[in-house]
Amino acid sequence: MLRREKDRASVLVNVDADRSAVEAARRDPRAFEALYRKYVAQVYNFALYELRDPHAAEDLTAQVFLRALAGLRHFREQAEPPHSSFRVWLFQIARNALSNERRRSRRHPDAPLDAALELSAADDVPATAAQRDELRAALRAIDRLPADRRRALVLRFVDELDAREIGQVLGRSEGATRVLIHRSLQAVARQLGRNRGVDDTERTAERRRAAN
Amino acid sequence: MYREAEEGAIQSDAYIDALLSGHARLPVALPVAQHAPAPSVRHVIRVLDRGMPRFHPSFLFEERLAEQLRALAEQGNQGSPAVLIERRVVIGGAIASGVSLAGAAMWAWRHRPRAEAGQD
Repeated sequence: MLRREKDRASVLVNVDADRSAVEAARRDPRAFEALYRKYVAQVYNFALYELRDPHAAEDLTAQVFLRALAGLRHFREQAEPPHSSFRVWLFQIARNALSNERRRSRRHPDAPLDAALELSAADDVPATAAQRDELRAALRAIDRLPADRRRALVLRFVDELDAREIGQVLGRSEGATRVLIHRSLQAVARQLGRNRGVDDTERTAERRRAAN
Repeated sequence: MYREAEEGAIQSDAYIDALLSGHARLPVALPVAQHAPAPSVRHVIRVLDRGMPRFHPSFLFEERLAEQLRALAEQGNQGSPAVLIERRVVIGGAIASGVSLAGAAMWAWRHRPRAEAGQD
């Protein structure tokens, strides 16, 4: 009895929040606009963090939505494992488009992540100079991570996907994705600790110079 | 070793979930100290949660793409959008190959041997 209730609960949890919008868009493709408006910024952010160029990110975003509209009849929501939702499917298209783009242009973005995102211009979040410096250091550390780790952090913190969804986008299990994110965070923490160590040494040296 | 990492990963994940639920104005219940990740990881999670910038594409781009999608959807009502895209690619490809064939013919005509040109 309890088990049956648990099973039903897990199926309910895994039902795609976009199911009715997807069904509407299947019946009438004009209804796809609602899904587009809901996810355009998320897909754009994912592309921007990877390509580091607003125009390239816009091109990729356009590709993703045109492909999604064209392929909507191939998308199948799955409540049973492996669970799949419209949002996951959209990010899978984005990941594939990104891989194709990388293969086509055969070059990786030159701009460092912190510079490309123009942190100083992003003044929507009131932050002190120290906080901004720390974030810049964290972004530099993220920049040095392997692609999968970097993408996992962007999907988790910027697009707010959970570990299960990120796993589906990256082709990993939920547990492996959690470990991947945890290890990425540890790597960034180590880098921040190292930077703080350097800062402390510089500050001590400055203080000594001032005392002399 | 992996099990240890898995435990830490579960703690980190719960901590991130708790912080992200704050964005949706849901009640935030941060894990108690013994189940929370290491202080250095906690600190990084807070830095990234607070600071990773989110962007929005330009209004012009968003509206232009919306218009493109609407046009495609309108056509899709008469046929599948996938078929329409494929058809556009085929037509585009045919035009492109036609243009390149004409270009090759023009180039061959311009660079034909002089003697041959004199015979004309």
